[in-house]
Amino acid sequence: MEEKIICSMSGVGIYGVISICIFVAFFAGMLVWAFTKKASYLDKMGGLPLDSGEINSNDKTQA
Amino acid sequence: MNIETFKYDNRIVRAFAIATVIWGIVGMLVGLLAAVELFFPGANLNFQFITFGRIRPLHTNAVIFAFVGNGMFMGIYYSLQRLCKARMFSDFLSWFNFWGWQLIIVGAAITLPLGFTTSKEYAELEWPIKVAIAIVWVAFAVNLFGTIVKRREKHMYVAIWFFISTAITITVLHVVNSMTMPAGLFKSYSMYAGVQDALVQWWYGHNAVAFFLTTPYLGLMYYFLPKAAGRPIFSYRLSIIHFWALVFLYIWAGPHHLLYTALPDWAQSLGMVFSLMLIAPSWGGMLNGLLTLRGAWDKVRQDPVLKFMVAAVTAYGMATLEGPLMAIKTVNSLSHYTDWTIAHAHGGALGWNGFLTFSMLYYLFPRLYKTQLWSTKLANYHFWLGMLGIIFYIVPIYVAGITEGLMWKQFNKDGFLQYPNFLESIVQIVPMLRLRSIGGTLYLIGVFMMAYNLYRTAKAGQFEPDTEAQAPALEKTSETPHGKYSFHRFLEGKPMFFTVLAIVAILVGGMIEIIPMFLIQANVPTIASVKPYTPLEVLGRDLYIREGCLGCHSQMIRPFRSETERYGDYSKAGEFVYDHPFLWGSERKGPDLAREGGRYPDAWHFNHMDDPRSTSPGSIMPRYSWLLTQQMDRESLPARLAALRRVGVPYPPGFENGPAQKDLEAQAAKVVANLKLGSVNCAPDKEIVALIAYLQRLGTDLKSAPITTAAK
Repeated sequence: MEEKIICSMSGVGIYGVISICIFVAFFAGMLVWAFTKKASYLDKMGGLPLDSGEINSNDKTQA
Repeated sequence: MNIETFKYDNRIVRAFAIATVIWGIVGMLVGLLAAVELFFPGANLNFQFITFGRIRPLHTNAVIFAFVGNGMFMGIYYSLQRLCKARMFSDFLSWFNFWGWQLIIVGAAITLPLGFTTSKEYAELEWPIKVAIAIVWVAFAVNLFGTIVKRREKHMYVAIWFFISTAITITVLHVVNSMTMPAGLFKSYSMYAGVQDALVQWWYGHNAVAFFLTTPYLGLMYYFLPKAAGRPIFSYRLSIIHFWALVFLYIWAGPHHLLYTALPDWAQSLGMVFSLMLIAPSWGGMLNGLLTLRGAWDKVRQDPVLKFMVAAVTAYGMATLEGPLMAIKTVNSLSHYTDWTIAHAHGGALGWNGFLTFSMLYYLFPRLYKTQLWSTKLANYHFWLGMLGIIFYIVPIYVAGITEGLMWKQFNKDGFLQYPNFLESIVQIVPMLRLRSIGGTLYLIGVFMMAYNLYRTAKAGQFEPDTEAQAPALEKTSETPHGKYSFHRFLEGKPMFFTVLAIVAILVGGMIEIIPMFLIQANVPTIASVKPYTPLEVLGRDLYIREGCLGCHSQMIRPFRSETERYGDYSKAGEFVYDHPFLWGSERKGPDLAREGGRYPDAWHFNHMDDPRSTSPGSIMPRYSWLLTQQMDRESLPARLAALRRVGVPYPPGFENGPAQKDLEAQAAKVVANLKLGSVNCAPDKEIVALIAYLQRLGTDLKSAPITTAAK
């Protein structure tokens, strides 16, 4: 059934338009999402790699 | 608060680190041999197993899956444990992952030189090894998700998102592109044909670069760069945007590998537009990495770890600007099939992947062995030698690529091709090929220096198999401190839901591009005169695949006057409906062969294969004299034809059992008779007979009859 419908579609150029629409919607949603994050949360997240929980951390061992 | 004490597993990190160094050296040595063979074809010592066509895939597989693959596992196993504040989910799965991966690499190192290949780039390994890859990869994914589930850190740092997207996307890509029909233990035919096969392959090939060479390494950049710099990433907000935009966009860009081919125009345009959009997230990521070092550039002067990282991130930025530019159709018309592509790939591989791997190794060894790096000076020499190596590698190859592209397109004032003989462009770039191998040698010497430095570091220190750590147990709540429910935190707290969203983001592009290609008949207009290959031609085509001929010869004439003048009518989608797999190729070190049939007599091909320089002075093609003495594999013919029928080639039922052998003998006798006309005596059962039959068939379906669309 699906196959028949898609096979009979004319104007495959519509895929380009659909694709751009999906992307714009996705990207806009993502920007809103990212920019509504609180600064305190972002600071905490950014600092995660710096705390590895190691008891005798040798992070100072530097090349 | 319940504080728990636990141990990070360093043994698995060390194992992957050692494997990274060893396979890196092996992969680069093979690359160097391949580079030398390109200007000195005798370097294979007339030994078929180390001939260019067979070791090119060995080099690419070794560098991508063995060197970068082990480097990726090394970095993930180290950083994931620390970001999750948990030991890996299962030590057994960790070691299954390690030994399974090494066995796969050894399998590749044996089978590829033997000529067992599917011919699909970066997916050349035959089906038993593909199955093994799937099993080992799933074991890695289970270990990854298991660790994430049992983590003690509530939030998933952005690096983990990149790791998740890598695990799931590579699974999808590998499964979809590996759909093959076995015809024996080490032979299979792609389920897809021609245009569809090309689209699936480059959807895979492009995204293997994206999700094997890029996303895991970006995750590692987001972990190791802040660690080495001792400061958080410049903008965590930017890293969120970087991640989602990148994984969403990357998957659409695959068709940029097929611009101006027989792929339908709408798919090409989608590939181009999405490639250009990719510049934004890629540069966002690069700037995020570089700006992390603002105010700390003095550290970069002293610390080789940061030096390598800065150069790697810069190379990432350069490669991700150049890639989209090459995806613009007009630029691509010049760059495609030339050494420009090789330069682009190596800018990314040597600069981004290579340097980031080296930085991680220099970071990890002193920490794993509780000591200082043995020689910072030697590491600095490595850095500069590596930089020189990259420059000496890519600059000559850029010059070679642009030279090739321009010479192929050049017309004289009378409207004829200025350089009608393809060989003229090759002779012109040979000095560049020599220079390139010097660049590769410098880079490799640097790697040897690093290996020695790391070895001395390990000798000087004492390995710490487990690192003890402490963290509070994770409380099961998805509430924010203010009691407000946050979707983002909910998402982070639910790795499986996060994963589903990431899969949707990744699959949308692939599905919109690929499904219509299979279902809309108008995309591949069939041509009535195009018929399946004869049994002898099937054997010949499989020899063409075995020898890796498509490493240097395309079978895809683009619709440019410069190409149609040189090779004949441009290629149509309908010509490839029986091509399992497609053999369009992506590089020309020899002329296109799509219309090779009937261009030269059979005896010319015989002499050319025996010694290309006897017919084409100055040619850089290796000799294929073993084809003249080895017997063709007639016993496997029934299995091959049956497998081809199963994937859709309309051979009549029972054809493979008797008629096929008779058909083969009759056609072989004709080839032998033709050879006699050229004063060449050859037995009909030699491999060269099958290969000549195949080469003489190429493009003749269209020459023999006018193009008419087959009745539906």
